[in-house]
Amino acid sequence: MGLAEDVAKILIPEDVLQARVAELAQEINATYTDEDRPLLVCVLKGAFMFLADLTRHLEMRHEIDFMETSSYGAGTVSSGVVRILLDLERNIEGRHVLIVEDIIDTGRTLDYITRNLRTRNPASLRICTLLSKPARRVIDIPIDFVGFEIPDEFVVGYGLDYAEIYRNLPFIGVLKEEVYR
Amino acid sequence: MTDQPALPKDIDRILLDEQTIQRRVRELADQISADYADAGEIVLVGVLKGAFIFLADLARRLTIPHHVDFIALSSYNRGAVSTGAVRLIMDTRAPVTGQHVLIVEDIIDTGYTLDYLVRTFRARRPASLRTCVLLSKPERREVDVPVDYLGFEIPDVWVVGYGLDYSDQYRTLPYIAALKRDVYTT
Repeated sequence: MGLAEDVAKILIPEDVLQARVAELAQEINATYTDEDRPLLVCVLKGAFMFLADLTRHLEMRHEIDFMETSSYGAGTVSSGVVRILLDLERNIEGRHVLIVEDIIDTGRTLDYITRNLRTRNPASLRICTLLSKPARRVIDIPIDFVGFEIPDEFVVGYGLDYAEIYRNLPFIGVLKEEVYR
Repeated sequence: MTDQPALPKDIDRILLDEQTIQRRVRELADQISADYADAGEIVLVGVLKGAFIFLADLARRLTIPHHVDFIALSSYNRGAVSTGAVRLIMDTRAPVTGQHVLIVEDIIDTGYTLDYLVRTFRARRPASLRTCVLLSKPERREVDVPVDYLGFEIPDVWVVGYGLDYSDQYRTLPYIAALKRDVYTT
């Protein structure tokens, strides 16, 4: 397939990825009970594939909700403030909320979303991310469940895109530099 | 992953097991990839929340270039009864004019929602417009909407799993199951 040719190397192969997703689900299974009925909040679009696989391994009662955000432009990058295009369907007051992210980079946007959700008084708020780039972190956010810590490289696949392409690769790959330069 | 999962208490029986669904999703993806081989690029429009698992699996099996976009809908209800009118809560991110659009839905029931979507997207003048639906309940149909790619026809029972829910429960079961009738009729 043409898309895979733009990938310089496979960082996380499909079987390793799937095994780790199942492990993360077990960690989450050990954290919540049926009575907690956690609400998993997926930030679109990147996290939808991770969410689809992760949630199929969950054993406790849970619900899914979605948010979509877009940036206001260059001026707001450092503050992390984003425009909420799609807000949660559910009121999260008193609920156990688990944010599901594909990747945490600087942490600015996630920090903003976290602060936004905290104002709604959830019973608890935790974060699950498939990937984390610690070298890029600007705001220190406590992350409860991390799939993989990865180096600061341009990664695509499994929901992560470059210009909307490569999301459907079943592995995490590093994009060739000539593709995005 | 077990072949014989313990069924949650509200579940009557499994209609479509995990392997059956995955095999059919792969067939649909092969057919779509073949049909659009010369299209250049297509846009998959997933309808939240129900279609997200189907879309995640379908997209991974496609061998053609594609973008993924999402829309969110709600229906206008009169009491507990759906009037068939649909409200668009979140539109697609990217414009679809001149694009090959494939609407991806979890289920077609009366057909009102899909009919609304087809009319909405047709008005945007895409290069082509087709629909891909995992499940259909033909007995329930009230409006005739063309479904180009269909996963399974099912009887008129309340189904959950693989994206479909009952009051937001059971949405992420890896299989599709019929709910016990007394759960949703009382």
